[in-house]
Amino acid sequence: MMNKIKISGNSSAVSCKPRENNEMGKLTLYGIDRSPPVRSVLLTLHALGVEFEFKIVNMKEKEHLKPEFLKINPLHTVPTLVDDGFCLSDSHAINSYLVSKYGKDDALYPKELQKRAIVDQRLHYDSSVVGPTGKAIVFPILHLNNTQIPQARIDALEGVYKNLNLILESGDYLAGNDLTIADFHVAAGVTGFVAFLEVDASKYPKLADWIQRIKELPYYEEANGTRVAQIVEFFKSTNFTIV
Amino acid sequence: MGKLTLYGIDGSPPVRSVLLTLKALGLDFEYKIVNLREGEHLKPEFLKINPLHTVPALEDDGFYLSDSHAINSYLVSKYGKDDSLYPKDLQKKAIVDQRLHYDSSAVTSAGLAIIRPIIFQDNWEIAQAKIDALDAVYKNLNLFLEKGDYLAGNNLTIVDFHLAAALTGLVVFLAVDSTKYPKLAEWIERVKKLPYYEEANGTAAAPFVALLKSKNFTIV
Repeated sequence: MMNKIKISGNSSAVSCKPRENNEMGKLTLYGIDRSPPVRSVLLTLHALGVEFEFKIVNMKEKEHLKPEFLKINPLHTVPTLVDDGFCLSDSHAINSYLVSKYGKDDALYPKELQKRAIVDQRLHYDSSVVGPTGKAIVFPILHLNNTQIPQARIDALEGVYKNLNLILESGDYLAGNDLTIADFHVAAGVTGFVAFLEVDASKYPKLADWIQRIKELPYYEEANGTRVAQIVEFFKSTNFTIV
Repeated sequence: MGKLTLYGIDGSPPVRSVLLTLKALGLDFEYKIVNLREGEHLKPEFLKINPLHTVPALEDDGFYLSDSHAINSYLVSKYGKDDSLYPKDLQKKAIVDQRLHYDSSAVTSAGLAIIRPIIFQDNWEIAQAKIDALDAVYKNLNLFLEKGDYLAGNNLTIVDFHLAAALTGLVVFLAVDSTKYPKLAEWIERVKKLPYYEEANGTAAAPFVALLKSKNFTIV
């Protein structure tokens, strides 16, 4: 399914006030390719088959700290979604909202209470453990010019792989037998983190199988694959060492 | 209607956020203490309940659930007389979800960075950068509160329970400056007035707060 996606290089002024007329507004995603949370939203948008505009935020040039961006997200983070004047940050909140509003059904974010609770728990595992574990490795390289990674941080990443493998013993996907947005979040992260620690298929067979399963999604390459490949190459090019 | 069982310990802010939610909903439940110091969470009986061996964990009539945010959302959705604590309206829910994930990511990491070395390594030297990170959290919470009396708008939601529980311990290390963060300071007082606050978070947190105050910390 082809999305009409316009990728533009600057974020022109937008307000968070609702539109005055009743025209269906534009869905705009603000972000950068390298960010796993941004890529989780790209996966969701592609899975839903909705049209959207992807606006790159030039964080190197501190575009996210400028008044125009602060107006739509005072926390100056990416991804940020603007849906017809409604401004929303945090990838998990964004993905939940998108499925609830635009999904033809609720498969990607089930409404049934127990199924939803399991997805929510996986989403918060992503926010509180998967994300920070990856960030601890990546942040010094990207922002502190430090390519020496403490072994403890790699061990923490392996701990995450172990838990994900355990979770996947209950079903083919992270929240059970069906694909949900939980899979998009963790896949966006893990497919980048493998630059630092590959997934040992003999130790974590369920996790390795799941990664393959996600890569076979028809929209995977466009939403995540091509983007994350560049990031992995970049990380490898830094000749990081584990100390 | 089966029994609701909450597994946890009073020291844990996520556990106290669930206590606040359970009290707000007026639910009967059993509270089973899991002694983390004795490694009770790593024993087979608890791993059956939660293989990720974290607290809080909830059992609802044979359904097991971990993560305080998932638990609180589930409890309101299932047992709430209305949806005010966790609105169903898509935009309102999205704002609550964003605040919940802010708690999971930024607030939790800022808190653990300060508290973990103290609790697990008896190390009371706190890097200035960690205090700065906590100050940045206060700044953002104050910003959220410019939109309404509570963290997700004009009505109390489960977000307020999570943050009230988290801040109870953290203010030991950095007080909320009411000239810098007036909205946050007011909100703290507002939440303390909830009828069930004392029981779920006041008295429950007291031994933990006493522990955090038991030695002098230094900022380095």
